[in-house]
Amino acid sequence: MKRIRIDRLLPSQLLATCPARSATACSNRISQAVRVSKLPAPTLQRLSQTQIRCQSTEALSPDAIYEEGESSEIPLETPPDEGPDYSKMPLPSPHPDRARLSAKLSALHARLSLPSKLSVEVLARTLVDSSADAHPRFNNATLAYSGAALLQYHASEWLITRYPRLPMSILFAAMKAYAGVPALYQVAHAWGVECAAAPGEEVDPGLLQYAHDRATVSMGKWGYVRSESKELQRYKWRRGTSSRVLYDDAFGEMVPGQKKVEHDALDVSGGRNTKDLLEDDIKHTAYANFVRALIGAVWLHSGRDAAKAFVKAHILSRQLNLSSLFEFKIPTRELARLCARENFEAPVARLLSETGRLSRTPVFVVGIYSGRDKLGEGFGPSLDSARISAAINALKAWYLYSPGDVNLPSDMLSEDAAPWKPVYVDIGEVIS
Amino acid sequence: MTIRAIEKVSVGQNGLGAFILQCKKMDIHYCDYSGSSRGMNAFIKSQLSNFAKAHPQIEFAVSPRPRKHPVLIGHYINGRTKSICVKNMDSLQVLKKAQLLRDASGEKNKRVNKPVTSISESVRGVWSPYHGNGMVV
Repeated sequence: MKRIRIDRLLPSQLLATCPARSATACSNRISQAVRVSKLPAPTLQRLSQTQIRCQSTEALSPDAIYEEGESSEIPLETPPDEGPDYSKMPLPSPHPDRARLSAKLSALHARLSLPSKLSVEVLARTLVDSSADAHPRFNNATLAYSGAALLQYHASEWLITRYPRLPMSILFAAMKAYAGVPALYQVAHAWGVECAAAPGEEVDPGLLQYAHDRATVSMGKWGYVRSESKELQRYKWRRGTSSRVLYDDAFGEMVPGQKKVEHDALDVSGGRNTKDLLEDDIKHTAYANFVRALIGAVWLHSGRDAAKAFVKAHILSRQLNLSSLFEFKIPTRELARLCARENFEAPVARLLSETGRLSRTPVFVVGIYSGRDKLGEGFGPSLDSARISAAINALKAWYLYSPGDVNLPSDMLSEDAAPWKPVYVDIGEVIS
Repeated sequence: MTIRAIEKVSVGQNGLGAFILQCKKMDIHYCDYSGSSRGMNAFIKSQLSNFAKAHPQIEFAVSPRPRKHPVLIGHYINGRTKSICVKNMDSLQVLKKAQLLRDASGEKNKRVNKPVTSISESVRGVWSPYHGNGMVV
């Protein structure tokens, strides 16, 4: 009986164990989840099951990379003499060999027209959330991590080259609308993925498996844990846009600190605090992690181009009206600042048309001009609201400028790529 | 920060990008004894294997239902089901019904009286009485 020690694995085996990232909370959480000594009692018992499965060779998934010879050199950690009979205990997730027998799984494989290189066993692994099976060789945490990186890369390069003048806050919101958890949940639902009532060995491998009562590891969070994250959450400190770019994840949301979670777990007393402590939505996160893991699996098994095509077909082809994301506070002042910055003449609002000024329902049409150029036009029931809506339209026309289809930076990765033509990216928003 | 962002979620348009067949599962119930499922039994023997091979994205479940009429039940991605009783039909008619279930979207049948349905706004825009030169009456 022998046991793999996660800490001693070679770097080439990292994908199968945990993502090589020390600065964030997620990798810490994974490695902590694997270590038994730090865990509370109910998880301890579950983990001992997963370790036992690692000991039996028949349960290894086909894509596990490590070899028998290497693992035999690793010394034993615990004598397996005492304790319950682990071979009789059920596995936390279905056996990988059962993937071939699942009709649901092969139907899902065909429905998504996944490449044949991506076997159904890998597809089955992407359906196992880390809350269902804590062992990183059998859950989708590592695949979800790489998939999230790819997805956010492709989404952000597509948004930035297509809409080079988007303000940062709008870019964050657009990223979330395409690649955030709610969007990925809808994507997984539109694929016809159903979830199992509870994870276990006997569950059909074609069902998404996650535990309702245990929090999932928040995968796909790229960003730094701020040292002041506790105060930011508790006192609702303001986070500036630049620091959100620098520290936070791809959607401008703070990466929750590990310390904060542990600390709050101790001093939670009222019902108000427990709500902050729990994972926002375990179900939605599990579905989103499945989509990310599938992108990671496509990338791992059929390459970069297939993963990019998959992201484009399933995520970036969704529709989002970017102009509905904007909310302005003082649009007229911002338009004036914009004209000053771009050396346009100062904007002037002119009444173009009106009707029923003295009636109950007047309508004014106002255009905003800079010199002889009309920047925008809007209408409203009063002169002021018409001017504001005209300013908003002018600002949206500026910010939503699109050069059309241009080359993406990732297009240059293919060998027969045309020479790179620099794309235009604006210097940023007007007032931040 | 004068610009604030409103959170929205992008809307998926099936077929724009990837196409996902909406029928995800088909239950096929038959009876060995009664005459009303003679055509269904012939369908299962002769045509079902080819039909299932042609549609790997649909999960097929064949199960006997003794002393009942034969039924085809389609399960759809939106969570609805559609069931068709295929009693006394011959195998070709049953195949037609299976194809009908395959092609259905799972939505309730509704009357379509507009040639185009779209979520994006019209390119031409809405007519406005405040623009243009107007016509002198």
